[in-house]
Amino acid sequence: MSAPTAARPALPGRLIRTLEVRMLGLALVIAVGLSLMSPYFLTQNNIFNILDQSVVIGIVAVGMTFVILTGGIDLSVGSVAGLTGIVLGLALRDLPIPLAIAAAVAAGAFIGLISGVLVAVFGLAPFVVTLGMMAIGRSLAYIFSGQTAISGIPESLSAIVYTTVLGIPANVIFLLLLYLAAWAYLTYTKGGRTIYAVGSNREAARAAGLNVLGYSILPYVISGALAAVAITFSIAQILSADPLAGNQMELDAIAAVVIGGASLYGGRGSIIGTLIGVLIMVMIRNGLNLMGVSPFWQGTAIGSIIILALLAERLFNWRSAR
Amino acid sequence: MSNPMSAPDSGPALVARSVAKRFGSTQALSDASLEVRAGEVHGLLGANGAGKSTLSRIICGHVGRDSGELLYRARTLSPRSTREALDSGIALVAQETSLAPDLSVLENIFLPELGRPGRLSFPDMRRRASDILARLGRDHALPLDQEVRRLSAAQRQLVEIAKALALDADLMIFDEPTASLSPSEVDRLFDILARLREQGHALIFVSHRLEEVFTVTDRVTILREGRTVAASLDTARLTQTDIIRHMVGRDLGAIYATPGLDRRGGARDPVLEVTNLSARPIVRDVSFTVHRGEILGIGGLVGAGRSEAMEALFGLRPRDGGTIRLKGREIALRRPVDAIRQGIGFVAEDRRAQNIVPDLSVRENLMLAHLGRHRGFGLGYRQRQDRVDTLLAQLGLPTDRMDASLLTFSGGMQQKIIMARWLLIDPEVLILDEPTKGVDIGTRSAIYRILRDIADQGVAVVVISSDFEELLGVTERVVVMSDGITIADLPTPILTEEKLTLLAAPRSSTTRNRALLETLAREHGAFAWWALLEEDSLICLGTAAAATAPPLDLRAGEALHPRDTPIPRALAARAQGIVTDGALATLLVPLRNARGHDLGWIGLTAAADTPLPDPGQIAAQVRRLTRDSDDIEGDAA
Repeated sequence: MSAPTAARPALPGRLIRTLEVRMLGLALVIAVGLSLMSPYFLTQNNIFNILDQSVVIGIVAVGMTFVILTGGIDLSVGSVAGLTGIVLGLALRDLPIPLAIAAAVAAGAFIGLISGVLVAVFGLAPFVVTLGMMAIGRSLAYIFSGQTAISGIPESLSAIVYTTVLGIPANVIFLLLLYLAAWAYLTYTKGGRTIYAVGSNREAARAAGLNVLGYSILPYVISGALAAVAITFSIAQILSADPLAGNQMELDAIAAVVIGGASLYGGRGSIIGTLIGVLIMVMIRNGLNLMGVSPFWQGTAIGSIIILALLAERLFNWRSAR
Repeated sequence: MSNPMSAPDSGPALVARSVAKRFGSTQALSDASLEVRAGEVHGLLGANGAGKSTLSRIICGHVGRDSGELLYRARTLSPRSTREALDSGIALVAQETSLAPDLSVLENIFLPELGRPGRLSFPDMRRRASDILARLGRDHALPLDQEVRRLSAAQRQLVEIAKALALDADLMIFDEPTASLSPSEVDRLFDILARLREQGHALIFVSHRLEEVFTVTDRVTILREGRTVAASLDTARLTQTDIIRHMVGRDLGAIYATPGLDRRGGARDPVLEVTNLSARPIVRDVSFTVHRGEILGIGGLVGAGRSEAMEALFGLRPRDGGTIRLKGREIALRRPVDAIRQGIGFVAEDRRAQNIVPDLSVRENLMLAHLGRHRGFGLGYRQRQDRVDTLLAQLGLPTDRMDASLLTFSGGMQQKIIMARWLLIDPEVLILDEPTKGVDIGTRSAIYRILRDIADQGVAVVVISSDFEELLGVTERVVVMSDGITIADLPTPILTEEKLTLLAAPRSSTTRNRALLETLAREHGAFAWWALLEEDSLICLGTAAAATAPPLDLRAGEALHPRDTPIPRALAARAQGIVTDGALATLLVPLRNARGHDLGWIGLTAAADTPLPDPGQIAAQVRRLTRDSDDIEGDAA
């Protein structure tokens, strides 16, 4: 019984079968819908706004993509952001800006390392480990900060946001470069393919001699480090480090990754999909704000759109599986 | 539903007509028909991948059918769930896959009852379970409160059987129920099948072990590549050759691509030498050597620890002893990547769970071992592209579907891709665990040819297989494992399926025979041995020597030509009395179990001047000691 040699479908058919293309279509539909409802939506100013609002959540979502690709999840990113923000705020009192940022990022990476080791070496469930880290991180953020926001952040820090290159702000450029690097890493390097293989079939990856242990830990380290990077950009804008910062950030990040087509079982997903997922999330929130929808209703709107997008995706897959 | 059908109802109990089923790109069944009467054991035969299991699962409601007709007691049967099939009186004894490992033996036996509404009575269940196990003669061997995950493979199989008996279904399907049972347990199962048949149950016996088919079935239906090619033939009128011809559609020799010349082995360089490998509790003492250009078979029953031994060798499982030498140099393999960098490849048994990475493309699946071996930041795919093209051509694989998902390929194509994955690293040693499991017959013979080619190119090939026929067809030498120990290392030409079955029996199930040898040796001051005997070969299964016995160079698991033993005359004569060879006197007694199966010979060799007792007396003693020899406490350990 040889498998039938299915004819290659025509280009439009192949495109529609690519998840990223379908999600990009969804993003465009949302953009068109919102621009019809609010004339302000498609102005250049607002587009920069959307990109600016995408930076923090977008950076965190990259780390989350790495973790979810291995079949894990990182619920601690919000708390780690809060805690490393406090670390940054405190470090800035004594250290020059680059060293202070390095300290915050190192702290985030260290927390990720602990989570990763607990998950990969000791085999604890990622959900539980990072839930624990989430509680610990937030609690330490309050303790280190003395329960209040740290102000007096040097204004020169804001250069990392407001410097522009060809009219594009530095934080947006950083975001795009980060996505480019992450995409290249996941597609063209041994480590990136190992992350996919580990998430898709850990046993097979192990039997083929891949470094399953190392690449199960690395995504948590990246996730922790990027949470610190994200909060650095946030603090640079508001010039204050709040122990409550990053609250519920993990939910937005997970939602963006999942809208981008990643499977929570691991092995499936892409960094481009995540970028589209981030843009969809931010656009909806931005549009609802423009239309003056009460913040209390925004959760309902965003939640419904996430669930509908996933449902549509599942129905599409059922149909094409036949 | 617990009343078996009354006899006068002469129509068939179950009729399947032109059943078809497709899984993804694989047409598992295309035109399968089957007719089973009440009160018969109906053999459902076919090679691996012929669709036996699929048809069984359709009848039992595990999967739906795409087309075709299914009549049960003259009424259309369309079970949409196992529950519906169970309610109409149809039960499946699966290959130990349908147990809940965390539940107890008792709960597993009554698992189908847990799905029914109403209260459960544990005391009642316990009583019924004891009854069933007593019928199986295993009440002492299966503690009801034991968790199933702690049972041996054979014990799990017994739980499966007990589970079907608890349902008292009218139609029972036994899907390869003997795969992990010892010969005596098989005999007992056959007794039960005979009893169920007399009570008017309709039984379907799925197997590819021909010996068993002849022992137990009344009629057989043979499937080949999803089609019924022979329907309801009387077993009594068939020969093995007939069945094989139907099963494979050609003569057996054509499937196995073994050139006759190379099978003698000769003095070739050893490539991989494994000594006293252990990975407790499953792997206890494994030693074997494989040479350049050789195909070595590892035989044994399911659960003998063969896969585990290879996984331990490959670094997939922690080892706690043993040495591994590659081309004479001792190597330390802690992780699979160490083995891969030393040039050892391993095609693991479970394709879906251990080999295929479903979310990666065919190309990346093929490159996976290369990626594991690769030292560098990038992928290094491009440097291997030429070799990939060569391999694809060599294995007869399409080159235009490299970006598809491997899951859209048939089982045989998947297996070829996985083999290509390992050939890509140009291995010195390639280990394949059940390489033709779930592979259609056409690809199977292609895989055998590929194995031969690989070996001819100088690779040392190790093949694990539970299919003894396959082992005999493909290998040059077979190492037999039982209970985690390598117990024999024999050239393939002197082996048969029957001999392998005896050799592979769990050591624990032969304790009584070994005790018999010791008793005989002690009581008569002799060297006692147990062997399979033929014109030109003797395969020793066990020995025991008294202190005063003459030294006889015979070890368990060893094969000799009778003329190379010190007792050629006795072996040739096989007389009722004592035969002397020079200074040695030998007495031979045939060994049979309760069902009359030939279990070889018991021999007693002593110095010619020590008086051996009366031959008749020894024969009686052997009979007395072996009368219950199939009542084995094997798996009670």
